[in-house]
Formats: sequence, structure tokens, C-alpha cells
Amino acid sequence: MAAPERQAPPGPQGRPTPPPPPREPDATVYIPPRSARWPGIDPDVQGPYDELATQMMPRILDGPRHTEIGERIPAVGVDERAEPEAEPQPAAKKQSLAKATGRMAIATMTSRITGFLWKVLLAWVATLGVLYDSFTVANTMPLIINELLLGGVLTSVVVPLLVRSQDDPDGGESYTQRLITMAITILGIGTIVSTAAAPWLTSLLMDDSGAANPQLATWFAYLLLPGLLFYGLFAVLSAVLNAKQIFGPAQWAPVINNMVIIVTIIAFALVPGDPTIVPTSMTDPQVLVLGLGVLTAMTAQALFLVPALRRSGFRFKWNFGLDERLKEFGGLAAWILGYVVVSQIGMVINTRVLTAGAAGGASIYSNAWLLFQLPYGVIGVSLLTALMPKMSRAAADGDHRRLVGDLSYGSRLTTLMLLPVSAVMAVAGTSIGVALFALGKGSVEDAERLGQALAVSAFGLLPYALVMLQMRVFYAMKDSRTPTLIMVVMTAVKIPLLYLAQALLSPTHVVLGVMMVNSLVFVVGAVLGQVWLWVKLGNLRSKRVVGVILFTVVASVLGAAAAAAAGMLVPDFLGAIGGAWVTLILQGIVGMGVSFGVLMALKVDELAPVTRRVTRLLGRG
Amino acid sequence: MGTRAQRGALAPGGVVGDGRYRLLAQFGIDERAGAHLWRARDGQLRRDVALTMLVGDPADPEAALLGRRTLERAAHAATFEHPGVARVLDVLSLGSGISSSEGLLGIIVAEWTKGTDLIDLVAERPVEPGAAVRMVRALAESVDQAHQSGLVLGIDHPQRLRLTPDGRLRLAFPGPLPDATLRDDVKALGSVLYLLLTGRWALPGGPPALPPAPKSPTGRIVPAKSLQPRVPPELSALSVRTIEDGDHGGIRTSAAILRALDHAAEAAERAKQAQAEPAEPDGSVWTTKKPSKDKARRRKLALGVTALVCAAVAVLAWLGMMAINFFQDDGDTSGPPVNLADPPAQQQGGGQDGDNGGQNGGNGNQQTQTGKPVQPSEITVYNPEGEGDSPADAPKATDGDPATVWRTDLYKQQLPALKRGVGLLATFDQPIDLSKVRVVADSPGTEVEIRTADSPDAPLDATQVVGQGKLDDVNTTISLDQPVDSTHVIVWVKTLSGQEPDFNSEFGEVKFLPSA
Repeated sequence: MAAPERQAPPGPQGRPTPPPPPREPDATVYIPPRSARWPGIDPDVQGPYDELATQMMPRILDGPRHTEIGERIPAVGVDERAEPEAEPQPAAKKQSLAKATGRMAIATMTSRITGFLWKVLLAWVATLGVLYDSFTVANTMPLIINELLLGGVLTSVVVPLLVRSQDDPDGGESYTQRLITMAITILGIGTIVSTAAAPWLTSLLMDDSGAANPQLATWFAYLLLPGLLFYGLFAVLSAVLNAKQIFGPAQWAPVINNMVIIVTIIAFALVPGDPTIVPTSMTDPQVLVLGLGVLTAMTAQALFLVPALRRSGFRFKWNFGLDERLKEFGGLAAWILGYVVVSQIGMVINTRVLTAGAAGGASIYSNAWLLFQLPYGVIGVSLLTALMPKMSRAAADGDHRRLVGDLSYGSRLTTLMLLPVSAVMAVAGTSIGVALFALGKGSVEDAERLGQALAVSAFGLLPYALVMLQMRVFYAMKDSRTPTLIMVVMTAVKIPLLYLAQALLSPTHVVLGVMMVNSLVFVVGAVLGQVWLWVKLGNLRSKRVVGVILFTVVASVLGAAAAAAAGMLVPDFLGAIGGAWVTLILQGIVGMGVSFGVLMALKVDELAPVTRRVTRLLGRG
Repeated sequence: MGTRAQRGALAPGGVVGDGRYRLLAQFGIDERAGAHLWRARDGQLRRDVALTMLVGDPADPEAALLGRRTLERAAHAATFEHPGVARVLDVLSLGSGISSSEGLLGIIVAEWTKGTDLIDLVAERPVEPGAAVRMVRALAESVDQAHQSGLVLGIDHPQRLRLTPDGRLRLAFPGPLPDATLRDDVKALGSVLYLLLTGRWALPGGPPALPPAPKSPTGRIVPAKSLQPRVPPELSALSVRTIEDGDHGGIRTSAAILRALDHAAEAAERAKQAQAEPAEPDGSVWTTKKPSKDKARRRKLALGVTALVCAAVAVLAWLGMMAINFFQDDGDTSGPPVNLADPPAQQQGGGQDGDNGGQNGGNGNQQTQTGKPVQPSEITVYNPEGEGDSPADAPKATDGDPATVWRTDLYKQQLPALKRGVGLLATFDQPIDLSKVRVVADSPGTEVEIRTADSPDAPLDATQVVGQGKLDDVNTTISLDQPVDSTHVIVWVKTLSGQEPDFNSEFGEVKFLPSA
């Protein structure tokens, strides 16, 4: 009686199919966050739902595929028994993953720095004025449309399926072809329609009652919107490469993009004619150079991925049709799409209010927001990256206690790291603006306005980071509804407040009001997130978090006071920019030093590891 | 069919297996495989056994093949021992224990499981959730064990299962379907849990005695919770997630179910403890209602907090904007030494405007005190390259009322295009030592130069630029680099406010401040 069950065990080895890497069925596989976004993107758009791309993973190899199930029943038994044997393999993998993560960190840093550099450069060359405003508005259009067409769906549905499709008999080739075909079709249509509708889009995003120049923005939009095709394609192709475990090119492509833009800006500065004067026709060399240069950058970014894709063995063929599996995700995708739509509405109103104010509003806002985000980008994201796999796993296991523990720990660490930073930001905001943006043709006045915008919104840094953390927890619990509802409330609060700012403030100060409203809205978001998490999870150990927040607030206030006092010492003869740099450095060191000194003196538990290391260092010295 | 005719042979009292087993009572039929489930008496060993008899026409090769496969699988399972599975004692096939005339394809003989029928158990009312978890957990353990050794148990039919006196579910009638898979076992676990909680069977091919699980219009199974409100949500979700195929968040291994069940049991235990203590004094037994009530209360509270926070933030925003307005109008006094050029009164150091490019008049000579505004004796429109621009309105710029304005013509293009500019010429009886010019104008973007001239009709090139500034705010003070002595001062508009195709600027009020 040759039981067919017995024949199967050698199945996985004997089969010609590519061997699926044996791994723990529940292991959360780390897909690096798609920080490989186009650098011009407004981080408002940065969806917390990106996390879904990682947490869809565990189910992929969990259990056999239905088609083969009858044939190779015990294969799973083998898989499960093989679990202990597979132990050394993850270890080896972990090592290479750490290496890859390190390399990725360099690429991410480089792309962030170059991305920031070109924005600053443009401010130096073209000033934070009407031209930069128009460019900023036109520049966000492809991003908004891409987010609406692809963004949410890509992370919530396409990427997880893409990874799952790697186990198809053809290694996911036909699924990928279908995906790229679909993306090109949708993006192509989107590009044509949106380019044709550029004037309408401009009038949607810009309020022409202010100093803004919708005509100029429309010209830029005509030049930049065709880039939508390549920008979207870049997102899809980098997802494809990530699914194939190729991370490098997608990480470095934004750097290419930034370099091309930097070259463009240099060319823009060299073109005859004063770059600060508002151009009067679309064929002005300034408009053409900037618009076409940035378009080239977007194209280069997408094309940079093509060789890597070819090298991976993938061949593109037009392949129309929908994959059956896409339907499984309907509900999830709908909520995420809702999130995207709501947040984009908020952004459109934001831009309208900004452009209704004085010249420079949009560009000052976008740069101030970039600076505002920076500490979170460095500290918060690295913390999340470390914490998220743990939390996803706890959520998948339904282990709420562990989940709450991680959430509380994450919140406390975020508080400790970011509150002192935001205190320094509030004090040194003006100096930061002047130090970075008053060079070249940039005026001290505009730079100060930028700095003040940063200063009045600095308090929102912690709430912002908390909102991001909480939303990820919701998504980890497979709840895509609550984040969307929270976003709806946040936007509902934001829009009237934006209009209030427009009504109350003089045009030059609208941008300060807008930044402040944004921060306040994140306060709403953070409280809501905490409250609704409490509804879902029960006791969140918020007391401890609030305790840490209070300690840190005390320390930060002291730090801020010390920094302000230090600022008085800076001599006047250094000139605006030199003075700003000296002030900034001095206040940064004093503020952070005092804040953390006080925190250590207060013996906050979370700082214990740091304290120990410092005392050991001091002892040695 | 021929086999149907033979069915009569299977009646209580009949014998099968060469007369060794006497049928006692039928316990069900698994219609998918034509498996008749009987309790029988082993005449030789004088003990009760459970018979899974595969009824079919031995002449039908396909049926025979399928039957053989089930028998093979059962035989394979004979090596498997677990308290949750009745031991297979014997497997009878055609030719060995069964003759071709019996209308049987094979018989699987297993030890008899004492206890109760699953259908009887749920017939009256569903099982209490905590008990259901314990029952299914026992079964899940055996499934997990079997799966680890590559065996499919075939528990996907409620009549094959029995509840032992010690409260565990046991597979009493082994013999998996020919095409049963591991996944089927897992789904069956979910289905059994669903059955215990609701009394309905969620998989196809269940016995007619059990009502099938209701489905939502989209074809999904209605969660157990909506049938039985007292089912905890975790359990409800667990059963549905296990049964449904391919859904995201599905549970596909027995190990995962075991884990989930443990959590559910723990949660139930904790809820019980938490509830037991306060409930004891009034003697009322814990109910599952309370947590949901708690959650509803929490939700209400959360909604309240939401509204409160929104209101608080709105107030804060208003206060914040007032503060911005206040500080910006009153001069920026907050710490940083780099200051707005606009309100110069409090600024000490003047040497910072080196790279300022003169954007807003610079901060130079801020120590200079200014005296009272001097009223010009005459004010006219200075328009050397043309005429017009409302000469009649010129006095409105110095009439002390900012509401009355002097306005330039409407230009189609920005200024250097048509002419180099246009301005107001103020003539003073006495030369004034001019140090500042204050302009009240609602024309953001306007750039003006302060020029001095020797005569009222001097050509533009003969005038000297002594200061310049941009009218971004309504109130703008243009400081001159050096105080200048002159009788003719021109406020020269070199860039107009507005945008294509409408450019014009207006001045509400112009004041000339001498140095004191």
C-alpha cells in the first residue's frame, strides 16, 4: 500500500520550481519603506498606510497554495517540521539584511540631503517669491494625481500581491507584466487628461485673489504634468524591484533625480535674465529651463530603474487583464483611498489659502514643512523601523498587551527625542530660516518669515510623530477604517481653521497661521488616535506616557530658556547670516544640552541606557 | 443505482465484515463520500466499534478508486495515536473482509468513542463560548499533531465527531475524503467552532439535520456574533477567518488556530475573573454583556473627547493667530536677535543690512530719531514720460485720510514696458532734512524709490535715488540711507502691484518724516 502521502516529502527539493525560501510562517519580512519617493513630495501625503506593504508579507508563505494542495499534502508537514532546521538561515539572512539596511540608510540620507539641497538652492537663486510659489504648486500636481491614481492602492494591494505573486509558477512575471501594463495605461490616461486640464488644476489649487500668479503656475504645470507618467512608473517599478529583493536602484534613483534638478537650477541661474523677475511668457528661458529640467529629472529617475529590471531577468510585454487576486482587497483599498482623497482635499485647501496670501507663501510653507519634518524623518522613522515589525507581529498574534507595551514605549521614546528638538526649533526657528535661506538672492525678510513659520509650528512635532505611530498601529491591526475617520476629523478641523487664518491674518503672515494650524491639527490627531486606540485596546498605559511628556516638557522649557539666553550673547557684528549660524549652533547645543541634562538629572527611566553610557564615558575621561 | 438497492442491508442487527461486526445504530451519513457511520459490536472481541462504511458500487471503477484512496488514507492514519482521534483498528476492503455483493467499497473500523453526538449537543441551544473553546482546542491539538506528521484527519463533517464525557471533541469516525486536504481540516476546525457557537454548519455537504450557516449578500458567512450576541468578538472573528478562503487575515494552519484559541481562552478567563469579583456580592453570575457595554461607554466617551479636543483646538488656533497678529504688529520681541526690518524702533544694532539688497529699505541709521511728519506745500503727479495717472487725485495722498487714495492708471503690462514709472512729486516750502517716508497703501508688490529733484520738472535721469522699498504691508516705512536735504521729493513707483493683465498701484497716504 504505497500511500501517496509518503511520496511527497521530497517534493520541495525535487521540484523544478524555484525553491521558496524556507522561513518561519509568521516571520514579518521587512520591506524597506518606500522612502524612494520623489523628493518634491509634500510629506502630508506620506501615507502611514505604507506600513501595509510590510505586514501583508507573513501570509504569503503561510500554508500551501490551493492549486497544488491535493498533490503535495505532506509538503506542509515537512515545512513545519523544517522550522527548527531553518533556524540558522534567518540568522544569515538577518546579517545580510542588516548590511542592506545600512546601505539603504546611506542612500536614503543622500537622497534626503540632495533633495533638501535643491530646494534651498532654488530659494537662493529665485528667492522665496512668486516664481518659486508657482513652481511649488505646479510641482505638487503630479504628486497629488499620482497619489490619487496609484498611491494608496499601490501600497495596500499591489505590493502585497506582488510579493505573493513571486511564488507563481512563472515567478510572478505575468502578474508584473499585467501590473505594469495597467500602470502605464492608467498613468498615461491620467497624464493626458491632467495636462489638458492644467489650467483647471491650477485654478483649483490656487486662489488668484492673492499675490500668486496662476498663469505662471499653469505654464509650469504644462511642463511638469507629463512627468506624472514617469513618476508613477518609478513608484511601480521600485515596488517590482523591491519584491524581487533588489533594493539598491530604487534607493539611488531619487539621488539621480535630485542631481538633475540641481544641474537644472544651476542652468536656471546662468540663463540670461533676472531669475527673480516674474516671467511674462511660457517660452521665457527661465520657465523652460526649470520646467523641462525637472521633467527630465523625473524621467531619469524612472529610466534609471529599467536596466536593473532587465538585469533581474524581467521582460516586459503588454499584457492586459486583471488579476483575480486583486479583488480580495476591495474593502481595504477603499478605506485607504478614502484616506488619500481626504488628505489631498486638506492639501488643496492648504495651498489655496497659502496662495491667497502674500507672495512666497507656498514656497515658504513647503520649505518650512520640510524643515519641520526633518527631526521626525531622522529620529522617528528609524525608531518606527525598529519597532514596527514587533508591533505588526504582536497585532497579528492578537497579543494586545505586547502591542500596547510597544506602542507606549515608542511614544515615550519619541517624546524624549523630539520634544527637546521642537523646543530648540521654537527658539532658534528664525535663525534656522535665515541661516539656510538668506544666501544668494534670498532676502533676510523671507528667510525670517520661513523661520518664524517653523518656530510657531514647532510644538506640533511630537503630535505629528505620535499620529504617524498610532496610525501604523491601526493598520497593523488591519483596521484601515479608523485612520481614515481620524483623517476626516482632522481635515474637518483644519479647513475652517485655515480659512480663519486667511481672514484674521495679514497676507504676509498667513503662512505662519497655516503652519500653526497644521501643528494644531496634529494635536487633534494625536489625541484622537490615543482615544480610539483606547477604545480598541483598553488601558494604553497612557499615564506613563503623560508622565514622560510632563518631565520632558519641563526639561525642554528649561532648555529653551537657556537657548534663548544663549542667543542674547551672540554679537551683532557677524551680519545677518553669520549671526544666524552662530546663534543656531549655540542655541542648538545649549538647548539640547540643558534639556537632556535635566532629563538625566530627573532620572527618566527611558534614558537610563544613555545615562549609563555617558557616565561611563565621563568616568573614563 | 444498484448500490442504493443494497442499502437495506445496512440495518440495525445486520452483520458486515464476514459476520464479525453486528450493526447496532446508525450515527449519520457523510453524503459526500457515501460514508455511513455506524456503531457496531465486534463479535469476536466483544467490544463496541465505530464503523465508517463506504457504500458504493464495486463495479464502478471510479467509485472503487476513490474508496480505495480513502481506505489507504485511513490505513495510514492507523499509525497515528492521539486522544483526540479514535484509533483505527482495522481497514476492510474489497476482497479482504468485504464481498463484492455487499454494495460496500470498504469499512474503516475504529474504537468506539463514548460520549454524545455533536448534533444532539447543539440541537437545543449553542454551547457557551468558554466551553466551546475548550472543546475545539482539544480537537485542534489532534489536528495539529496529525498535520505535523503529514496526515489529513478528515474532520470536516459534524457527525464524524463526538464529545467525550470529559468535554473534549474527538474524531470518532475516521476516513478522510479522497481529496481532503490539510486546509480542509483547518477550515473544519473553524466550522466546528461556528457550529458550537451558533448551531449552524458553515461548510458545504453538512448533514440535513443541521441548518446551514446564513450568508451575507456578498457570499460571506455571517459572523457568529450577529447570530449569537453573547459570542465574544474574537471568537466570532476567529471562526469566520478560519472558514473563509483566501480572505486577507485568514487563518490557515492549525498551529495558528491553537494560538488564537489560547488567546481567546485567556481573554475569557480574564474577563471572567474581572467580572466575578464585582459580581459576587449581588450573587449575579457573569454575563458576556458587560464588556460590550463597557466598549459602548468608551466609544461615547471617545466621541465626547473628540468634540472637546476639536473645540479646544479651534480656540487655541484663534488665540494663536491673535498672538501672531499682535507680535507682528507690535514688533517682534521674541528672543532672536535677527529681527523683522519692519518695526525698527526697538532694534539696537544697525550693521546687519549688508546683504539685505535694500529689499525693504534696510535697517540703516536706525538710531536716527525722526521728527513730526512735514506736510508738503504742493503735491502733484510726476510723470515725465507721459501724462495722466489721475493728476487731480494727487492731493488725496497727503490729505490725512488713508481711505482716499491716489491711483495710477491701469496698465496692461508691468512697468518698464510702457514707461519707466510714475510717481508723486512733493514740494516743500522749506528744504526738509528727510530721513523717512511712510506710505500707507494697499498695493502689495509695489516697489517705490524715493528720489530727490532740483526742480519740479526735472527729467527722471536728473533726479537722485535716495531710498527704496517694497510695499508688501499696508504700512511701510522707507528709511533713507542718509538724511537728505531737499525741497522736491518724488515717490517713484517703479513696479506696480497686481498681475497680468491688470497692474496698478494706489497710495492712501504718504508722509514725509524729517530727521529730528
